Amino acid sequence: MLLKTKGIPWIIKETIVGRVTRDAYDIDSNSVLIAEDKIILHESQNFKAILTNLPNKLEIDIPLVYSVETFDHLLDGDIVAINNDGIINTLYRVASNQNFILFTERCNSNCLMCSQPPKDKDDSKFLVNLHKQLIPLIPKNCHEIGITGGEPTLLENHFFELLELIKQELPETEVHCLTNGRSFAWNNIAKRLGMLQYNQLMLGIPLYSDYYQSHDYIVQAKNAFNQTIKGLYNLATYDIRIEIRIVLQKETIQRLVKLAKYIYKNLPFVEHVAFMGLEYQGYTPYNIHKLWIEPLAYMEELKEAANFLSDQGINVSIYNSQLCVMPKELWKYNKKSISDWKNIYLSECSKCTLMDKCGGLFASGERKHSEFIKAIEIC
Amino acid sequence: MKHEIVGNMLTVIVDKETYPSDVLYKCFYWYSDNYNVQIFPLDHFNYKVTLQCKVLEHNFDSILEKIQQDLIDFKLRDIVAKETRTVRELIIAKAFAYYDLADNPSTEISDPVGFNPDII
Amino acid sequence: MENSSLINKKSNRKFKESDYYNCSHSEYYLLPFKFHRINATKEILVNEVGDFIIVPSGTAETIISKKLLKHIDEDLYADLISNFFICEEKVPALIDILATRYRTKKSFLDYFTSLHIFVISLRCEHTCHYCQVSRVVQNKDVYDMKISHIDKGIDLMMQSPNPNITMEFQGGEALLAFDKIKYAVIKASDEAPKKNKHITFVICTNLAPITDEILEFCLSYQILISTSLDGPEYIHNKNRHRPGNNSYQLAIKGINKCRESLGNDRVSALLTTTNLSLDYPNEIVDEYFNQGFRNIFLRSISPFGFAAKNSKKNKYEASKFLNFYKTALNRIIEYNLNGEFYREDYASIILKKILTPFPVGYVDLQSPSGMINSVIVFNYDGKVYATDEARMLAETKDYTFQLGDLDVNSYNEIFYGDKAFQFAEAWTNESLPGCSECAFQMYCGTDPVLNHQTQGDIYGHRPTSVFCQKNMEIIRYLIELMDSNKQIEHVFRSWITGRN
Repeated sequence: MLLKTKGIPWIIKETIVGRVTRDAYDIDSNSVLIAEDKIILHESQNFKAILTNLPNKLEIDIPLVYSVETFDHLLDGDIVAINNDGIINTLYRVASNQNFILFTERCNSNCLMCSQPPKDKDDSKFLVNLHKQLIPLIPKNCHEIGITGGEPTLLENHFFELLELIKQELPETEVHCLTNGRSFAWNNIAKRLGMLQYNQLMLGIPLYSDYYQSHDYIVQAKNAFNQTIKGLYNLATYDIRIEIRIVLQKETIQRLVKLAKYIYKNLPFVEHVAFMGLEYQGYTPYNIHKLWIEPLAYMEELKEAANFLSDQGINVSIYNSQLCVMPKELWKYNKKSISDWKNIYLSECSKCTLMDKCGGLFASGERKHSEFIKAIEIC
Repeated sequence: MKHEIVGNMLTVIVDKETYPSDVLYKCFYWYSDNYNVQIFPLDHFNYKVTLQCKVLEHNFDSILEKIQQDLIDFKLRDIVAKETRTVRELIIAKAFAYYDLADNPSTEISDPVGFNPDII
Repeated sequence: MENSSLINKKSNRKFKESDYYNCSHSEYYLLPFKFHRINATKEILVNEVGDFIIVPSGTAETIISKKLLKHIDEDLYADLISNFFICEEKVPALIDILATRYRTKKSFLDYFTSLHIFVISLRCEHTCHYCQVSRVVQNKDVYDMKISHIDKGIDLMMQSPNPNITMEFQGGEALLAFDKIKYAVIKASDEAPKKNKHITFVICTNLAPITDEILEFCLSYQILISTSLDGPEYIHNKNRHRPGNNSYQLAIKGINKCRESLGNDRVSALLTTTNLSLDYPNEIVDEYFNQGFRNIFLRSISPFGFAAKNSKKNKYEASKFLNFYKTALNRIIEYNLNGEFYREDYASIILKKILTPFPVGYVDLQSPSGMINSVIVFNYDGKVYATDEARMLAETKDYTFQLGDLDVNSYNEIFYGDKAFQFAEAWTNESLPGCSECAFQMYCGTDPVLNHQTQGDIYGHRPTSVFCQKNMEIIRYLIELMDSNKQIEHVFRSWITGRN
């Protein structure tokens, strides 16, 4: 699944954000025209930019990208960012219910299995400007949107500005923000988030062990555990909705059941706990000897942990796992969670009667997955 | 543990420094159902504890081992109580304070680009 | 803290080993915890907020004498750190979590008194041999509660800071004064919304006098019925004499009638244990199950009123009760292991304290104790008592726990009077001899009224206390059962969450 394409830019100064359309008579000032094979120009045109696969530049004073490689991945209504180097990134896809907004690539942790390794440069100016243009263009009937990073809270005041903008522009949309939660150990930050009174917002915060040393080691940051726990408490004080995320890998499996009990006793206010299969991406291949455990081998611990939490009334989900590798009693927690653009099934799966219900694998899983993927035949 | 049995009375001599009176009272409180217990300072270094059985005929054998173990247990409890007294008071004070706001962490947020949580 | 200097630091994203994240310096520090030997080979450690760990005997000594080595026993070390038994700094980084959890545990106290018992009449036509109330059959003018006292009682009840209040009618046989109950319920229902209170009504009755008219009234005001079922017919009738000797039939008939009219969950049955009951634990458990109950409260008899006088029939030692309790409990567990949900309520109260971080207010087993803090009693004669047992004591001319008079005293004089302050000295087990070091402190409670009645003073004497012997052994037994059998732990958890 393609999320970007490129062409040759013409009069593009700053990054342009707009909704693509193939309708030359569209008069919305936020639209970007996709002109395939021919360009129709007329007086009342108001496009922010024109994208075309045609090889020649035109003498028009609308920003233009020509010789664009492909438009096959773009549907009318998708939102793109056109950069001054001719790269066209897709920011929002109308056909997907897994859109996300990348707030920053900065991070103050360095998780061994980070699937999106951080970049230590201040990208706030560029990204904040981009998102201030993007957010008002998102369809108002968008059901759900994710906020990712890096660590979104590192945007400081912009973090709250953007959230406020989303709340204002998309009042009906469920917002799921991934964060390591550490910033909220500072009460002023949690309080500021509380003041938004944002009911549709849920924070997804990873917790990898009940034992500080283990968690700090996994996220590669000293004091991360203490800060995360304090952050969780502060967030709970301001009634902010919380999900705990646990990546299933060698280090987390050892104390998984103890972690479940810790969550129940100390964090009973969490709304949801998600157990997640490992993604073979980012830092993971480099650290694979520290991380990899055959999923079939941890099903007993996963069963005990998931059932324990569920019995106490906490919602539980299992993401990024395959049904054939899980015992039947865990199937009820299984969710199809892998973003469509990186979701694959193996050839073995085409024989499986439950392929529809199963989440499949990460695209990166082609190279590393359970040894026990096998089609289930139910008569 | 030095001890002596005369009739239905058991006398135990314990070292003051190892077993201060707090420990002795808490320990021998549990024997006061079946025994009349008295605790006296013996000299500079020791306490004398007498246990007089409320029943005339009595076999003290089983109780000696229990006393040894109980003395150790209550000594341990005393160590915990003394070492944790301040923390315990702090926990309770914070639990019921009206206006206690948890302090911001004194540890680092560890962002290489320089995020400062105090300025939000 | 110098965050700005980090901009100048070269970011070091080289991966580090686990040891780098070890924060321990030299010796670890102890956090407040208690310990107790639960059997020959195991001991239990309990922290300041009631979390527990079961370890081999001698572990407490190793930990306290600082002989525990992180690199040798890392699993145990990690468990102790994560569960707040030890820490690596003088003041734990997560002390606020401990404080919040402690406050949560005690938050059953938040709104003060909730249960208001109105002894609406002393009249009763039963003559139960263990009855803690004087039996009186006639003279409703003297032995029914006056309207003026009902009014004053309701007025005091509405002054409770608690937004959720329960008005419970007891007797004698409460339904013999149904007209007074009607008046009280209607009046209280009127007043409650004005004071922003949500009110629940309960009538304690042997169900002999139940009629359709009464049931209709109960339905319209959503009144809960609490009745007595002492076990199978031969036990129930032996305990509860009535002209015609048909107490059991009337009770069963009444229970079914109530279920039909009000719904299954609006009728509960209480067990009173007597010397006779002690021989029939399984039969009593089976009887409750067969009558459609899916929970039973196994409580011991309180030694008040007639109970003390009828010493031959009722006096028994804690150990006899404990045998009965354990046998009955195991029978109940068996039902659960065979797929039927069947809960023991006393165990559930204790288990909720052991297994959850949530507050548990049960007037007979809490610290600070239930008297005044959770319950108050308005007697038929206008006198006010600290607990139900306290007013029974008064029947034997002991007015120690009489707090005042509805005609004379104000709310403050009753709830915050000299007597209340006096009792407060003895109503927290955290400060009682024997209890202050006990590992089960968080799971247990204290009862100054019981101490006074059975031991002569409100502090009580733990080594000879029936309350202590009973509770320590029940708590120890529940813990041992869970530790020895994971399935039983699973059953116990289902009792707390209500799901299998």
